[in-house]
Amino acid sequence: MGRILLVLRLVVADVRRHPAQAAMMLASITAATAALALGISLNGATDTLYRQTRAATAGPDVVALSPGADRAATAALTPLAQASEVTAHSGPYRQYYTTLTAHGRTSRAVAQGAGATPGPVDRPLVTSGTWVRPGGVVVERGFASAMGIRVGDRVTFAGRSRPVAGIAVTTAHTIYPWAQMIGPGGGPDDYSGLVWVSEADTGALAAADLPATSLLYLKLRDPSAAEEFVDSRRAFGDEQPANFFTWGFMATQDAHILRESQPVLVIGSWLLALLAVGGVATLAAGRATRQTRRVGLLKAVGATPGTIAAVLLGEYLALALLGDALGLAIARLAAPGLANPTASLLSTAAGPTGDTVAATTLLALAVAVLTTLGPTRRALRTETVSALADTARRPGHRPRLNGLSALLPTPLLLALRLIARRPGRAVLHAWSIAVMVIGATALLMARVQTDFDYGLGSSRLGNVQSEQGHDVLLAVTVALAALAAVNIVTITWTTALEARPVMAIARTLGATPGQVTAGLSAAQLLPTLPGAALGVPFGVVLVELFSPPNVVVPSMWSLFIPALAAPLATAALTAVPARLAARRSVARTLSVETG
Amino acid sequence: MNEFGAVLQARGLCKEHGQGQGLVRAVDEVDLDVPAGQMLAVTGPSGCGKSTLLHLLGGLERPSRGEVWLAGRRIDALSERALARLRRRSVGFVFQAFHLVEELSARENVELPVLLAGRSPRAAKRRAAQLLERVGLADRARHLPWELSGGQRQRVAIARAMANEPLVLLADEPTGNLDTVATLDVLRLFEELRAAGQTLVIVTHDERVAATADRVVSMRDGTFVDDTRLAGHATGGLGDLLGLED
Repeated sequence: MGRILLVLRLVVADVRRHPAQAAMMLASITAATAALALGISLNGATDTLYRQTRAATAGPDVVALSPGADRAATAALTPLAQASEVTAHSGPYRQYYTTLTAHGRTSRAVAQGAGATPGPVDRPLVTSGTWVRPGGVVVERGFASAMGIRVGDRVTFAGRSRPVAGIAVTTAHTIYPWAQMIGPGGGPDDYSGLVWVSEADTGALAAADLPATSLLYLKLRDPSAAEEFVDSRRAFGDEQPANFFTWGFMATQDAHILRESQPVLVIGSWLLALLAVGGVATLAAGRATRQTRRVGLLKAVGATPGTIAAVLLGEYLALALLGDALGLAIARLAAPGLANPTASLLSTAAGPTGDTVAATTLLALAVAVLTTLGPTRRALRTETVSALADTARRPGHRPRLNGLSALLPTPLLLALRLIARRPGRAVLHAWSIAVMVIGATALLMARVQTDFDYGLGSSRLGNVQSEQGHDVLLAVTVALAALAAVNIVTITWTTALEARPVMAIARTLGATPGQVTAGLSAAQLLPTLPGAALGVPFGVVLVELFSPPNVVVPSMWSLFIPALAAPLATAALTAVPARLAARRSVARTLSVETG
Repeated sequence: MNEFGAVLQARGLCKEHGQGQGLVRAVDEVDLDVPAGQMLAVTGPSGCGKSTLLHLLGGLERPSRGEVWLAGRRIDALSERALARLRRRSVGFVFQAFHLVEELSARENVELPVLLAGRSPRAAKRRAAQLLERVGLADRARHLPWELSGGQRQRVAIARAMANEPLVLLADEPTGNLDTVATLDVLRLFEELRAAGQTLVIVTHDERVAATADRVVSMRDGTFVDDTRLAGHATGGLGDLLGLED
């Protein structure tokens, strides 16, 4: 117990002594685990929301559609209601293909006739206002959200303006913007919203000679046998011009809305995790000398290797688990909105699944262990005297690079020799830049893709699927850029701190503060160049892997915008820490080193 | 150099740390003239301000008041950049802790100031080889600092300090970390440099080291309390003088 208390006390003391480093690690791991948790949560999230909404609205197991509103269409559907597998049905209803205008926006819509009291199958859940009444329409919630329609507003379709009595959700139609399910005459469907009108009002729609489709909602004895039911009807139903939508098919179709978001989140989470590894590894390496001395002190006072390992790893593991918890909490809050961008389904906040928790925890612990195990093992293996004397980890000697740097101007000479001190850090820096540029390139590519607009005529009605994908990509890219920026500043500052004695010696020998500043900045800029150069093609390839074959690649010059921006951003980010480091008193630095 | 032949001068030199009641005068109204070719030893107990004085004379720190002149040029008011350039050409430093760049070999350490002065890599290599030969470490040129003994490291540091043929060589406790034999090696080197006309200012708390100088100033609480010119010390062997076994 005493030992645990001691470990806890030492861990807390270390976190208090380095709050900025702890915050940086926490932020990195939180971002990575939140993105991963969201990415995993989206897998099947729509399905869950669909099931919940279906249960709340007595959704059909099968929707049968027959083009037209005449007797032939009805005749094609009515025998289905008599099938032995069917336990209940509603309809046939008619949906009329029209255009709807509200708030200056025009969209395709299907207006479906509905009774004052819904049938046993499909009872749309009114989320605001009331159900249909003569003269008053109900708008499907996803459609209403996209058009900005509220209860009491007026919408115009089929040449008449009608008040909105209510807003409702259903699972008898696929979500906005796929409410048509089939197009006029059984043809291909178009982006469309759904409104319900009273049976009394359908007369006006029929009179307007609008194309129509008849729908029948079926409840089966065994919902899991919906596909078999449909297959059997298709096999013998040549004379029945009916289309079928099973509940499983509709759930899959609804999930399509997240097609662009999910890979972005999952891939983004891995990129974020790799950035976190880079950042935390830099932190750990920067602290390695102090940690080694600390290990020496602990060994000197009789701490066992187990206690020392617990102290060294404890802080990182605790921060990793805290970051994991924060990431999961963020994902839980963001998931409902992200999984249901159209608002067509009921949103319920469900906690992360066991798989999600396991995956994010594994990721967080991997970041902590991968970045700290090496320094911890090295520190533990160092002899006590060496650890106390701070001679445990000497930079490597690289004569070729030193020889090459001798040919260069002083700032580049200093920069190359700084890189030669810790080449692994330069690789981490290049990696951070590459990841940031991959994100920026993906964002750039997403921006140049042509999206179908749902609006008709001159009105604009955003493409929910693409907008969601773009928003997620933007969020991931911003997170990547922020983490990369933190990494760059961390690497610069760690390099500057470690190089203080060397830079002080250089200044004693005649290097000017300007040359030292330029050298420190150049040491960060040089790895930026290969990182930026690799990031662009990797970004393009990554987008192409997850895009349709006809993906549009932006012009070469625009692709190099992120590659050019990266060195500029690095120069800006490193200027201040480099300048601060170069301004430090030489005498003070050397005195500290002597001390 | 001024009309008295002093290559290094200080007038009313003060260095203060802190303020109010916590004010400490590390160097307090020091006047100093170091003629060209003189070997000056500054002695005194720890914390008397002798290292600070050396930093002020070499432009590593700025005085709170007073003036520092090097070769007839006032340097205390120079910009950091100008001071750096001045150090490049005119001042060589040797420190107690050696302050060699760990990841550079002995030769690369000596080359560094030559390269910083803008000379070619070939010239830097040649000069480094020459100096390492002179300090007796030609066969250790490729060794990294931690592969060398303390005395060898300090000899590399002296070679590096001499790389650009400075007007003055400032040494801060150059034998402080060395054993007796290594101390003797270093003092021999200083003796050779003095014989070649090199101006040296050596800060030391070791009276035996001070005894090898032309002149010894003693410091206490930031001021000079004694200024003694020694004569005839070079007549005997260094070992004899210091009571050291060669």
